[in-house]
Amino acid sequence: MDVTLKEQVFEQSSSSGSNAPVAETEEERRLEVATQWQLMWWKFRKHRLAMFSTGILFTYYFVAIFAEFFAPWTRTQYIAEYVYVPPQPIHFFDDGKFDPYVKGLTFERDPRSFKKIWTIDQKSKIEIGLFVKGSEYKIGLHWLPIPYINNLFFTTDRHLIGAKDPTQPMYLMGADKSGRDIFSRLVYSTRISLSVGLVGVALSLTLGISLGGLSGLFGGWIDNIIQRLIEVVMSVPDLPIMLAIAAAVPLDWPIERVYFIITIIIALRSWTGLARVVRGKFLSLREDDFILASRLDGASQGRLIFRHMLPSFYSHIIASLTLALPHMILAETALSFLGLGLRPPAVSWGVMLQDTQKVAVIALYPWLLWPAAAVILVVLAFNFLGDGLRDAADPY
Amino acid sequence: MWQYIARRFTYMVFTVWIISLITFAVIQLPPGDYVTTIVSQMINSGMEDLPPDFEQQIREQYGLDQPMVVQYYKWLRNIIVDGKFGYSFVYRKDAKDIILERLPVSFAISGFSVLFIWAVALPIGIYSAVKQYSLADYLVTFIGFIGLAVPSFLFALVLMFFSYKYMDRAMIGLFSREYETAPWSLNKFLDLVKHLGIPVIIIGTAGTAGLIRTMRANLLDELNKPYVDTARSKGLSERALLWKYPVRHALNPFISTVGWILPSLIAGELIVSVVLNLPTSGPVIYNSLLTQDMYVAAGAILILSSMTVIGTFISDLLLAWLDPRVRLH
Amino acid sequence: MTEPLLEVSDLKIHFFTDEGVVKAVEGVDLVIERGKTLCLVGESGCGKSVASRAFMQIIRKPGKIVSGQMLFRRKSDDGTEEIIDLAKMDPKGYPIRQIRGKEISMIFQEPMTSLSLMHTVGHQITEMIRLHTDTTPTEAKVSAIKMLQRVGIPRPERLIDEYPFRLSGGMRQRVMIAMAMSCNPTMLIADEPTTALDVTTQAQILDLMLELQHDYGMALLFITHDLGVVAEIADDVAVMYLGRIVERGDADTVFNEPKHPYTQALLRSIPKIAMQRDELEPIKGMVPSPFRRPTGCQFHPRCAQRFNLCNQVEPANTHLNENHSVRCLLYEDAEARTSNAEAAAHG
Ligand SMILES: Nc1ncnc2c1ncn2[C@@H]1O[C@H](COP(=O)(O)OP(=O)(O)OP(=O)(O)O)[C@@H](O)[C@H]1O
Ligand SMILES: [Mg+2]
Repeated sequence: MDVTLKEQVFEQSSSSGSNAPVAETEEERRLEVATQWQLMWWKFRKHRLAMFSTGILFTYYFVAIFAEFFAPWTRTQYIAEYVYVPPQPIHFFDDGKFDPYVKGLTFERDPRSFKKIWTIDQKSKIEIGLFVKGSEYKIGLHWLPIPYINNLFFTTDRHLIGAKDPTQPMYLMGADKSGRDIFSRLVYSTRISLSVGLVGVALSLTLGISLGGLSGLFGGWIDNIIQRLIEVVMSVPDLPIMLAIAAAVPLDWPIERVYFIITIIIALRSWTGLARVVRGKFLSLREDDFILASRLDGASQGRLIFRHMLPSFYSHIIASLTLALPHMILAETALSFLGLGLRPPAVSWGVMLQDTQKVAVIALYPWLLWPAAAVILVVLAFNFLGDGLRDAADPY
Repeated sequence: MWQYIARRFTYMVFTVWIISLITFAVIQLPPGDYVTTIVSQMINSGMEDLPPDFEQQIREQYGLDQPMVVQYYKWLRNIIVDGKFGYSFVYRKDAKDIILERLPVSFAISGFSVLFIWAVALPIGIYSAVKQYSLADYLVTFIGFIGLAVPSFLFALVLMFFSYKYMDRAMIGLFSREYETAPWSLNKFLDLVKHLGIPVIIIGTAGTAGLIRTMRANLLDELNKPYVDTARSKGLSERALLWKYPVRHALNPFISTVGWILPSLIAGELIVSVVLNLPTSGPVIYNSLLTQDMYVAAGAILILSSMTVIGTFISDLLLAWLDPRVRLH
Repeated sequence: MTEPLLEVSDLKIHFFTDEGVVKAVEGVDLVIERGKTLCLVGESGCGKSVASRAFMQIIRKPGKIVSGQMLFRRKSDDGTEEIIDLAKMDPKGYPIRQIRGKEISMIFQEPMTSLSLMHTVGHQITEMIRLHTDTTPTEAKVSAIKMLQRVGIPRPERLIDEYPFRLSGGMRQRVMIAMAMSCNPTMLIADEPTTALDVTTQAQILDLMLELQHDYGMALLFITHDLGVVAEIADDVAVMYLGRIVERGDADTVFNEPKHPYTQALLRSIPKIAMQRDELEPIKGMVPSPFRRPTGCQFHPRCAQRFNLCNQVEPANTHLNENHSVRCLLYEDAEARTSNAEAAAHG
């Protein structure tokens, strides 16, 4: 009877699986990995704010790519007359009918400076519409500095939104000091501000993974040196030094070059956190059984890293990157705000905010602060997303 | 313990040295020859009666016609031995005087910001962890997110707008009128403290939000540790237990975060001071960078950075004092 | 002759997690006698720790006692006895804190993390002494040193100012024992106190606990995987499976005439040849997830003696004699079985 119990139970447990035990474990592992991603997705889905933020970020990037279509005006367009026009909010209904319009503008002259002071004219009405004709523009990937890919565009003159009569002013968020449309510039600057983040993250990812990986993989004196380096970089107050480097960028450099140097400066300060994450993961993974097992199998180092180590911390990397992105965006904004980052004619949120450095300006034309709202919203969204990802990646 | 302190001290000196290298590089950054720049600037600004060997004097003092290493050595020697940071052609005096004038305010702001951050983050972080998933916890978490997302200079801009619109403007300055130009005294300092509130809140908010999150996460970790069960099984009351065990353990990482708070505080102080036009070292660095008054910029950066590193060192000492594991190993 | 100290009946503890309710303890009945040793055995995850924590009301967060009674007989100094239902007590209240440490104390599984590394050994012991007795710090320290000496720590007057991270696992567990015993409790719960230690230390700690029980006369609830240990120390044995006690009785009876197929399988899994202590592992099949409990008898999917009713009818507690009971349909009489089956079919 003793024997029967054991045998019976054993039969039961083995009959359900396949008969080769090795294949079974291999399959189990794959299953486990699949369900791990699935589990993460389930967990992430429950994080409402993170889901919502994902939507917001998609919108941001979509707008960034097709900025020309979303902006009623082109980037350089301005009407010198309409200086500091206040925002003309959209009214959707007229006499109870759906008929969107904005109110017109009127001005009076400042008795001393003779400058025009614009106010909303409550009586006049400017009809607006969707997909209206405006100035012609290219839409697509023409702005990417990559050959061939930047041929992917077509030309059109339809804008998402605009005044039906293109000679009429429509400043949804007001105008700046030279009569440019804040809303259009905000849309365009999304492209630069967000891409600085992406390029910066790509750079610091490369730095972080290679240095952190070296550190965690080899340990010993290499680890020691890299750790000291990270400590030094982290304890140096970065802003003054970033400012110093940025201030040394010659004034006559072309936009693209300034863009890249600024991105590099920003990336140089944020790889350390990532390097630490990577190192920590490598260290803990080095102890892991399955790595040990595959090392005993004689798997090559490279295969080992990419087959086993990297997948198990993709999630962490992604979460750290999502949390690093807003820092980059903020850094660029701060630099440009101080006038040491990107310079006009490049337009980013920081560049736009340069105008708000004087309190008198903000007090009179508070709509110049709209870019700040854009920054805060995107940074919040990234933080929520990163938080959701981290929660999902961490089972505890 | 002594070994630990010695090691930390070595790191500190090493870091300061690296910083001095970076700052020296900063001086070299602007294109063109420094002396020529100075001389032409001086002539431009109406100082035509320069002594004929003025150029030569400066070149010798800083070793400008010698190799880089010698220049670096002379620059550092001038700072350490003579306390001279180099000549500012904008202010027409040694950079030291300009920096020393502004530094106390910077320190006061940063110091008070650290105190503010701790005083606010500690209790809120603890509360938020103990009442995990309560309404208050969600609220704190949400506000914390916003605090983290709003960079200090934007916060300053918005506050400035509101203060301009709805209050009198006085809240933005750092001194009452009678102390603005007065030399340092106890009364001037007290006057400063009175005006520090707004800048400290602006600069401290992001750090506070970050630290609340750290504290909450640490404490949540600690609350599930077996030693808490042990303490509970002894018959300690929940409150006594909380403060004595998990909070005490969660405090360690809390203190070591000073290391990252300080640099970001300095950055925040710098940019906020530029926005609010506060008489701290921030605008000095900023303006000297814009005008390429490099010795002032370098001096200020060197001192600020060194102070950060020393602050981190102090937090290491604090950690050793608090944590027997560090102390006794 | 026997004198019950703690009578637990129908104890149920559920964890209300986001993923669903985990029924970690689903009906535990136990009696712990004054001064005797009860061993609680069962596979990992069957709810031993959760149940024993309930006796002190220190269940972790989403967990709640949803039903049951835990009658504790507290003797006061004048000899009168008072019966307290521990299950009804507020886990944060003052009354239960008077029980914790003073009447019932506990030694945990992980000696490495059960002591705070930031406080000295002496501090952690005297804190407990001062909490429950009216002593000055110096007196408390003296009795702490005495206690440390009692648990076999060399030079206790020096060790008392040490931090636990400088001690070995065995030493820490001795400190834990000293702490648990410092207020002379009537009952000591030891949740796998030796699992994390090496074999020689295990034996020493075990001997120490037996010795202390002999000297101080407290009741001991000993939780373990190790049937060898059970054979050595137990007066009574309770076998737990998936949150239920499936068999209990005095040690002789359970070892010599195990009734429940699970107990039988457990006992078979210890090698009979030597006194070598092995983890009990080889019962085939997996412990089912607490979310997907089998219907009927919880053990039936792994049971060699199951028959058609086992997956439908939940066995009731059958008393075989005065101190031996089992939950298995094999021992319920036919009448009871059919009435149970009908109840199941209707309900
Ligand atoms: N905090 C918790 N949240 C959810 N479920 C829990 C929690 N703690 C315990 N459980 C559940 O209670 C069950 C019993 O756990 P318990 O720790 O009592 O097992 P055990 O018998 O002591 O096992 P071991 O021998 O490994 O110590 C587990 O299966 C687990 O699912
Ligand atoms: Mg357990």
